[in-house]
Amino acid sequence: MEVPKLQVGFYFDQTRCIGCSACAVACKDWHDIPAGPEKWMTILYNEKGKIPDLFVSYLIRPCYHCEDPVCIPVCPVEAITKREEDGIVLVDSEKCIGKDECKSKCLKACPYDAPQFGPEKGAKMKKCSYCLDRHLEGKLPICVESCRTHALDVGNLEELKGKYGDIKEADNFVYSERTKPAIIFKPKKKI
Amino acid sequence: MENQEETQEEVPIKIVRTTSAFDCGGRCPLRVHVEDGKITRIETDDYEVKEEQLRACLRCRALRQYVYHPKRLKYPLKRDGPKGSGKFKRISWDEALSEVAEKLKEVKEKHGNSSIFLATGGGYQAAFHDGMLAMMRLFTQFGGYSTHYGNVSSEGAVYATQTMYKSPFVGNSREDLLNSKLIIMWGWDPARMISGTDTIFNLIKAKEKGIKIVCIDPRYTDSAAVLAHQWIPIIPGTDVAMMAAMAYVIIKENLHDQEFLDKYTVGFDKFKSYVMGDEDDSPKTPEWAESITSVPAKIITDLALEYGKTKPAALMDCQGPARSAVGELYNRAAITLTAMTGNIGVHGGSAAGGLMGIPYGHMFFRAGIPPPKRNPVEEGLKSVRGSLDLRLRLQARCHINKMFDAILKGKDGGYPFDVKFAYFVNNNFLNQLGNANKSAEALKKLDYMVIADLWLTPTARYADIILPVASIAEKSDLTRPWPSGPYFTIANKAIEPLGECKSDIRIAEELADKLGIDDFEKYPDEDKALKFMLKMTEDTRKEVKNFRKFKDDGIHRIKFDEPYVAFKKQIEDPENNPIGTPSGKIEIFSQRIADLNNPENPAIPKYMERWEGRYDPLSKKYPLQLMSPHPKSRIHSEMFLVEWLREVDPHIAWINPIDAESRGIKDGDEILVFNDRGKLTIKAWLTERIIPGAISIFEGAWYEPDENGIDRGGCVNTLTKDAYSPGGASALKSCLVEMKLFDGGA
Repeated sequence: MEVPKLQVGFYFDQTRCIGCSACAVACKDWHDIPAGPEKWMTILYNEKGKIPDLFVSYLIRPCYHCEDPVCIPVCPVEAITKREEDGIVLVDSEKCIGKDECKSKCLKACPYDAPQFGPEKGAKMKKCSYCLDRHLEGKLPICVESCRTHALDVGNLEELKGKYGDIKEADNFVYSERTKPAIIFKPKKKI
Repeated sequence: MENQEETQEEVPIKIVRTTSAFDCGGRCPLRVHVEDGKITRIETDDYEVKEEQLRACLRCRALRQYVYHPKRLKYPLKRDGPKGSGKFKRISWDEALSEVAEKLKEVKEKHGNSSIFLATGGGYQAAFHDGMLAMMRLFTQFGGYSTHYGNVSSEGAVYATQTMYKSPFVGNSREDLLNSKLIIMWGWDPARMISGTDTIFNLIKAKEKGIKIVCIDPRYTDSAAVLAHQWIPIIPGTDVAMMAAMAYVIIKENLHDQEFLDKYTVGFDKFKSYVMGDEDDSPKTPEWAESITSVPAKIITDLALEYGKTKPAALMDCQGPARSAVGELYNRAAITLTAMTGNIGVHGGSAAGGLMGIPYGHMFFRAGIPPPKRNPVEEGLKSVRGSLDLRLRLQARCHINKMFDAILKGKDGGYPFDVKFAYFVNNNFLNQLGNANKSAEALKKLDYMVIADLWLTPTARYADIILPVASIAEKSDLTRPWPSGPYFTIANKAIEPLGECKSDIRIAEELADKLGIDDFEKYPDEDKALKFMLKMTEDTRKEVKNFRKFKDDGIHRIKFDEPYVAFKKQIEDPENNPIGTPSGKIEIFSQRIADLNNPENPAIPKYMERWEGRYDPLSKKYPLQLMSPHPKSRIHSEMFLVEWLREVDPHIAWINPIDAESRGIKDGDEILVFNDRGKLTIKAWLTERIIPGAISIFEGAWYEPDENGIDRGGCVNTLTKDAYSPGGASALKSCLVEMKLFDGGA
């Protein structure tokens, strides 16, 4: 696989996320995904401590469009590709042979559960496309524009790092050196 | 795939700029994509100043699924089974309205106009198509009707602000929070219930600016999780004890602003004498408060000192804790603290009072055209203007939270009317008022009931006739922020009404025809009406000069030179701008309340227990305090069926592990929550985020009794009480329950 010319990625300010899920609902609306197991954006929840010393965090879980996506080599029919021009990881759902046929190899390989399947038998893989349609029109992904607390940003990962720093850790998140997820954080710590 | 798209004929996408009319806490610009007459996508505000965008919350992100939900009502329905069975058959509008008109005439002739009851709620927050005003006008011209007094949401706060300020406009612009040095959020969770579209983001900016934020709440709310430097868990219903102890510390340390108190308030000496224990030998010390609130005395002392010394500081109370048997006292005590610290009328301060509204673009300003005239049934009664005597308000009406008791008992129960016919509009009151089982009983007994709604709600199940109403996407209207601004919004019609849905004003017009009310003035067409209404109210007349531009933009933003601060004029120039109370000052002591001579309604704010709190003897039998906060994924019970929202916010009960373990309840277990009023089932969520001894169930889930009378929908009002405080607060949060593992029923 060629190294992409450019790698887009996410910035997530975990200190600002109120866990409202507006991004997840906006994603379902924009991509017309029915309610059910197929979720291109999920909010993960974490709670630690004892009353009154509590810590609660939220974490966005789209596809992180990894620099080394492990989903690509495991796919038996080469349905997953990484765009050379921006590093967006895409699935050709038409090509996908369905979750039952290959036993969801991509989902098993992904450390972040990004590959998503509908409830139906033989459901084909679908996932966050970084809102490719919007991206090609020069627009931001719908999740970014929907965030009420401006906790999300996207762009060229190198530029994001210049703007926000290169922090790969956040609460409830493990950075995979193997796949190199394209996300940086302002992590939440106890204040 | 790409090729396919290219060969498809391009359907032009029309972007309609609109908003919602929900009773939601915000008011957000929406860009609705319409293709071939159908909504295909929703986007939100695209204002060029990104930081000032008024971004819609998850509710309106799901507006498309709400509008096109397969369970939306599309045709008039007539009951076709026992009341409450949910069995209906489709009929025509002509049949439906003819039957309703016949029934109205019959009831009027046999029982008189006072037997016609109009139940109106906050379900439609826009000016023109408002069914409440339309039906008020219709029934007035039909000879009058009976109705209810008060609202479920904010009556405690309204009573407190009327008592102390004589004004509901106690809020500051939200960006003024950035001028504060300390923010105390007391029972307030704007991350969930919004409190103005821009509120949570301004609070986040305040935190990031380094402003200390303290959250006092029985729950570690999502707001607290993001904002709070310190969370102080408190036993529900005991807030006033902690406030009194803070006042004690502030007075003891001489930190109170005596000059401010002398100049702008009356009755501080009486409050002081209560706090210091002069009148009852019980000084309201932090130790005294600890024994009531469970908040350690040192924490109370430290916060009081910090609040007393930090200027300016914003004490932000809300309406939630005020929906209790001690409702108005909580807001009155909060206002007293803000007066003691001189934080009223200054930037970075807060007047408290819980209502948070500013008088620009406020939802309070709306009037139907043509407006309803005086209701003949209420003609000749003693004026309620300026009075704090609830009895005057109840001369011809029932309290909102007693509506179903009034329907059930009528004059025999001491109410001013016997209901024979009821018309429900903009509400799902069976679900949203206290004691749902009693409400269901009342509706079963009610002779005849009509409801106008978008859904077959738990209330609608008991109707004889259901009239399907068009959603906000299907009409144009004027809307206002709820309650912070400053801006105005306009809803632009995106699609044609679904099925045979109609606007409530058209229903009123057609019903007027059927009733033979010849002089019922017809409503103008939308554009004409909206233009007229913009001219009718002062703020829009001044601000919105170009209707076409307003319509195209969907929003008109107002720019102030500086953030709006409530009572600034009154504080800066009191001679020329007295407070509206009889004394012209902020009334810590209220002579109007003293004159009522009701020991339950003290003339100064005091800690009281009243009933169904932690220390009620009933807590031996029902040891858990039930909280029923606003849900984040619906507006009360509105949008409950929308699956996109349900899946991100499952209906669960917050339970502290201590309370769960002692009852053998594990996380995810289905539990039965019960008291003498009812039983419901719900999934348990074990979390440290709630104080032991309390259980929290978000309000608005739909009541769904099974054959054993157990509410399997988990509607919190199956358990709450249909009662109100002396100030008229719907006391839904004074409620004791017990829980156990659900064994399957029977």
